[in-house]
Amino acid sequence: MGFDWSILWQYREPLIGGAITTFSVVALSLLFGTLIAGVVCAGSLQKARFLRLPARAYVQIFRVIPEVALIFWVYLCLPLVLDIRMSSFQSGTLAISLICGAYLSEILRAGIIALPKGQSEAAVALGLSALPRWYKVILPQALRIVLPNIVSFITELVKMTSLLAAISVGEMAYQANVLGSQTFKYNEFFTSVAIAYFVVIFPITVFSRRLEKKGA
Amino acid sequence: MINFDYLATLDFSVPWQYRWQLLQATGTSLWLAFVATTVGVVLGTAVAIVGRMKFAPVRWIVLGYVEFFRNTPLLVQLTWIHFVVPLFTGVNTSPFMSGLIALTLNVTAYFSEAARAGINSVEKGQWEAARALGLHWIPIWSKVVLPQAFRIMIPPIANMVISIFKATAILSILAVDDLLRVSSRIANLSFKPVEVMTAMAIIYFVVGSIIAFGAGKVELKYGPRVGR
Repeated sequence: MGFDWSILWQYREPLIGGAITTFSVVALSLLFGTLIAGVVCAGSLQKARFLRLPARAYVQIFRVIPEVALIFWVYLCLPLVLDIRMSSFQSGTLAISLICGAYLSEILRAGIIALPKGQSEAAVALGLSALPRWYKVILPQALRIVLPNIVSFITELVKMTSLLAAISVGEMAYQANVLGSQTFKYNEFFTSVAIAYFVVIFPITVFSRRLEKKGA
Repeated sequence: MINFDYLATLDFSVPWQYRWQLLQATGTSLWLAFVATTVGVVLGTAVAIVGRMKFAPVRWIVLGYVEFFRNTPLLVQLTWIHFVVPLFTGVNTSPFMSGLIALTLNVTAYFSEAARAGINSVEKGQWEAARALGLHWIPIWSKVVLPQAFRIMIPPIANMVISIFKATAILSILAVDDLLRVSSRIANLSFKPVEVMTAMAIIYFVVGSIIAFGAGKVELKYGPRVGR
């Protein structure tokens, strides 16, 4: 079994393009996911039931239904329901952002709940109003607690983007599929893309383990 | 923003008409998750035990296997096993077999981490006592270490069962007839994507919630006692 390096060089453009697409999906869905997570997490911490229940339901729905199923739903059904047109890249990024929002809000909530109650009581006693109480006292500490979990979620996120190959978003796994079946050089393309994922994900995993050890 | 005219025309009799196909596909998904979980627990424990061997090359192989399967996407493992492995072995596997093999290998890697943590949590005194009693290595593992390790392993395993059920949907990309693939075929066939895919999402949600609920119960009953 020979390993034909030259074919990788020959098809470097789609491969690099795939890596860029993967990176853009990760970056965009982290950005939108954080925004969603902020809103959903704030909602799920409320006492008022009409705010809390929808937030809890959102988290539950997006964490229990398989990611690919949600990606397909957003891709096939959302344009019909909303009467809009979306490219596969747009609907894929939207689906991943929605999932990302649910997971991040759950991680963030765990951090806020883990904070001793005295922190927020002390902030109130010092006469801080709601905004500085959150931005200066609660959030910085909560984020420090959950930082390892956020970093390890990013590895899950990178893995999740490979699922967009199912709706033909041209990211790395999709390019490997297309180029492999075009040239029949499955070994070269699949092996190198698998190694590429490992090279990206493994250092993040190591980093999150180190953070966890430091915190513990 | 929401197209209410379109929503008014939705016809949910379509997924009902295909209820047996959907039910059967749900069964396939559950079966895949069940096989991967049971085989994964057994193999994962074995991998964790082998990973403790004194012979370093074996440890490196185990470490490499576990880290590779934990740090690459399941979809990539799946396509790799389906398309690349036959080039070496000359044996072509059906999508179902490749899917099951990839899922099981993936689950085994994750479970072996849980098993490793469980085994490490068994106190050293337990090992020493077992050796002092003159036990052979088989009863040391089967009667002393593993029963205690399993208790620690239950929470991570219970948490992973729901991820495994979700992961079965990924196999549909490789033409395994699970709930997702059957639903998207029915959606194409009937030109009713919203009805069928929404029904599919509801089935996944209900079954997934039941599994999560059951896993929580098992964890409470058999998991490590908190605050003993």
